Amino acid sequence: MARDPKYDILFTPVQIGPKTLRNRFYQVPHCIGAGSDKPGFQAAHRSIKAEGGWAGINTEYCSIHPESDDTHRLSARIWDKGDVHNLRAMTDHIHQFGALAGVEMWYGGAHAPCMESRATPRGPSQYASEFETLTYCREMDLSDIAMVQQYYVDAALRSRDAGFDIVYVYGAHSYLPLQFLSPYYNKRTDGYGGSFKNRARFWIETLEQVRAAVGNDCAIATRFAVDTLYGPGSVEVEEDGMRFVELADPLVDLWDVDVGDIAEWGEDAGPSRFYLQGHQVPWTRYIKQVAKKPVLGVGRYTDPEKMTEIVTKGYADIIGAARPSIADPFLPKKVEEGRVDDIRVCIGCNVCISRWEIGGPPMICTQNATAGEEYRRGWHPERFPKKGSEDSVLIVGAGPSGSECARVLMERGYTVHLYDTAEKIGGHLNSVVTLPGLGEWGYHRDYRETQIGKLVKKNKQSQVALGQKPMTAEAALTYGAEKIVIATGSSWNTDGTNCLTHDPIPGADASQPDQLTPEQVFSGKKPIGKRVVILNADTYFMAPSLAEKLASEGHEVTIVSGVHLANYMHFTLEYPNMMRRLHELHVEELGDHFCSKIEKGRLEIYNIWGDGSRRTYRGPGVFPRDANKTHRWLEFDSLILVTGRHSDDSLHRELNARQSEWEANGVKAVYLIGDAEAPRLIADATFTGHRVAREIEEANAQFPKAYKREVAIWGNPHSPGVNPEIEYES
Amino acid sequence: MKILIAIKQAIALDEDFEIRADGRDIEEDFFLPDLNEWDEYSLEEAMLIKERHADTPVEVVCVTIAPDSADEALRKCLAKGADRAIRVWDESMEGSDPVAIARALAAVAKKEAPDLFFAGVQSSDHAHGATGIAVAGFLGWAHSAVVARLDYTPGAKEVVLKRELEGGLSQELRLPCPAVLTIQLGINKPRYASLRGMKLAAAKPIETLAPGDIGLATNDCGESGSLARVRRMYVPEKQRAQILAGDVAAQAKALAAIIREATGS
Repeated sequence: MARDPKYDILFTPVQIGPKTLRNRFYQVPHCIGAGSDKPGFQAAHRSIKAEGGWAGINTEYCSIHPESDDTHRLSARIWDKGDVHNLRAMTDHIHQFGALAGVEMWYGGAHAPCMESRATPRGPSQYASEFETLTYCREMDLSDIAMVQQYYVDAALRSRDAGFDIVYVYGAHSYLPLQFLSPYYNKRTDGYGGSFKNRARFWIETLEQVRAAVGNDCAIATRFAVDTLYGPGSVEVEEDGMRFVELADPLVDLWDVDVGDIAEWGEDAGPSRFYLQGHQVPWTRYIKQVAKKPVLGVGRYTDPEKMTEIVTKGYADIIGAARPSIADPFLPKKVEEGRVDDIRVCIGCNVCISRWEIGGPPMICTQNATAGEEYRRGWHPERFPKKGSEDSVLIVGAGPSGSECARVLMERGYTVHLYDTAEKIGGHLNSVVTLPGLGEWGYHRDYRETQIGKLVKKNKQSQVALGQKPMTAEAALTYGAEKIVIATGSSWNTDGTNCLTHDPIPGADASQPDQLTPEQVFSGKKPIGKRVVILNADTYFMAPSLAEKLASEGHEVTIVSGVHLANYMHFTLEYPNMMRRLHELHVEELGDHFCSKIEKGRLEIYNIWGDGSRRTYRGPGVFPRDANKTHRWLEFDSLILVTGRHSDDSLHRELNARQSEWEANGVKAVYLIGDAEAPRLIADATFTGHRVAREIEEANAQFPKAYKREVAIWGNPHSPGVNPEIEYES
Repeated sequence: MKILIAIKQAIALDEDFEIRADGRDIEEDFFLPDLNEWDEYSLEEAMLIKERHADTPVEVVCVTIAPDSADEALRKCLAKGADRAIRVWDESMEGSDPVAIARALAAVAKKEAPDLFFAGVQSSDHAHGATGIAVAGFLGWAHSAVVARLDYTPGAKEVVLKRELEGGLSQELRLPCPAVLTIQLGINKPRYASLRGMKLAAAKPIETLAPGDIGLATNDCGESGSLARVRRMYVPEKQRAQILAGDVAAQAKALAAIIREATGS
């Protein structure tokens, strides 16, 4: 099918300085955990998007000098010839598919803790980073300014040598150029501080110098947070935001604009829990009024309808996307081919971002299990190896893992029967999406539902059997499948078993009328009283989401949490607004408290640090600390147990116990995937389903094949001319 | 005891399709064939009777009047547990209307002599809703349309049923066997075929008969045996939709004006 003509505008080229973007789809810089040290990962992940139709594809933030070292997080680096060599792999592979490659030149100031380089970051003034709270920078004098500007120029020259078409001076997310511009950081009284012109001077001069160095060969871009969302006292769009764009416009070929800072950059990379597509438009729309150069904006654009609106209404010329390009690297191609319903829509969970926040393990994506696996496992998001046998596969459980496994096996040509007791594909996600703000997470289910619906039409032997009786071991054995995949998910513990004591809590029992598991809350069958206590030992979204839901419905909610409540939501950038929501709803949090026993209408809680600080050996049978005397009773009308989960794997156990009957029934193998193997993130459950589907011909597909590793090889210098041997100064 | 079930390989269409050059049907390339949805329910009803009364052997036989492209639908029935499948066809049957199809089905019914004859209330593609009851007409058997509940013990002389009427009414009936019943959606929950069922079905024979084998003459079949024929198939002209603005009262007022204008009142 051809594309819908209403999207034609998205496919018109845009001139940016000496380069041409072939269309309006543009992958803005975003982290993936590759940097310059995993060049294969970097090259494959970025070039898959070039193949998928994006016009411009960038690195993540790319440090220009060891003075801007973000270790414990993972940036790209263009410090030396070794980095040039490694990043060349990315640009070469992007160019093969006719797209432009961009580099986001980054200097962090005090936000870069320099834990590897041990260098001292420099900044406009000395301040303690509000993001990296143990790090201060040193205030630059005029020679420092010239020196750091030269870092940008040298890095730009190296970038050109590495094959980059677009060179950024990165001033969003509160990095150095913006630190000069914003009075929040810049307290100088010389020619680089005070008036707007003075505060803009560092950025303007840097753009001039970079432009003079590489402007004939590369497009010069700058990424600018046009409003830091601090209100007066920093950058506001209709003040310094528009003023700076007007001033710098002749020096740039492309404006990449967003909002927010670094300490709370979830205001830019807004999670779907709080922000809709295009949420930055009320700020960024002003930029087109003053910019003569092309402007691109972000806002988790997944829908070509919305993208077209953004361009036709004149809010931006180019659609910037990070997360939507991860969830579907082939988004532009699918629009082009009139296959909009095949787009794997970003759900806005920010689990991709969480990995950078954690410190830079390879990025993962809830929707796209191949994200980050392009190079090391050779997984293409849209191409699948043909089936390796005529074996048919029964998958029990159509949740995130089972449905992904079914989709990939069907794509490979296998006959698959996907079986579930529920009336709908999606498993526990069908409950999760009813939580406040999580509706868009349902795109994960919708994508698989749509794809499986199409695939079942192609192979009439395949089937989706929903609303079925629970599958028994006998029925599975005699079903007629050569391979059986168990994807039966997990459940919340009914007895209080948790990560702190690894045991049930005396009196915890969700069969009692006043105690509930999250599933029981979702089912709505048990009445919930006025005073609700949520007992929490889970570090992700369930406890705060249930608190928000119940408090919104008028309950008085107290969370007793033995673990850092919502800790993982720091990493997904949902934490700040989640806490604001709980505060607005008057949810009480009793942190560092857990529960020793439960009786009707009350639970006994204790401070988890209430035992003695001095550890002494007191002989066998005696606890080595003073007894915890902080125990007290807390009353409730309803208690919700968010203490932990367990795999629902009894079918797998029963099938394993009957292994002697497999052969007679034609069963060759049984696999366990998703939460049924171990409770985990939806992204990881999806991954296990995808992996087993890709590797099902292996001798034991339960366990992953080895992947290609990218590590430093002893004896080989990173940069030419460096002696790789151990050598001491003498 | 035997139940004979008329089934049809019905056709669904995607968004994009083209009408055949002669203007009388859709181009076959755009067909998305599958077992008629109603037939899933009649087959399931027969299977429930068979399984509920394991001590009385019940034979479930499916029949279709169609070319071999419909074998897939018959195999689906076999995979779900039907005992036998019969397909009647030759070129003379091309262009048959529901009555000609019913004549052939009735001829098969005479040969098979079932205790019950099931058909779907209608097919999901042409939706004539005529075939089942026309079969009863040819056979002269007791019949009931739109059956929503069925009580039958194999070997019994009569069947007790509930059928849907207009306006949410139901009617309970007692009919002597043999009887022709057209089965309504929702009477049961159709099962899915297991992989084993599909594999077994793939190996089962489909009995293929020509009209002559069931005593039909050439002019009983196809266009010559039909009272109706398709003259033209076309996409109806798109009508314009309009969203009525304002609150409910304003919308109602606007709607009333539109109705008055359309009816000239």
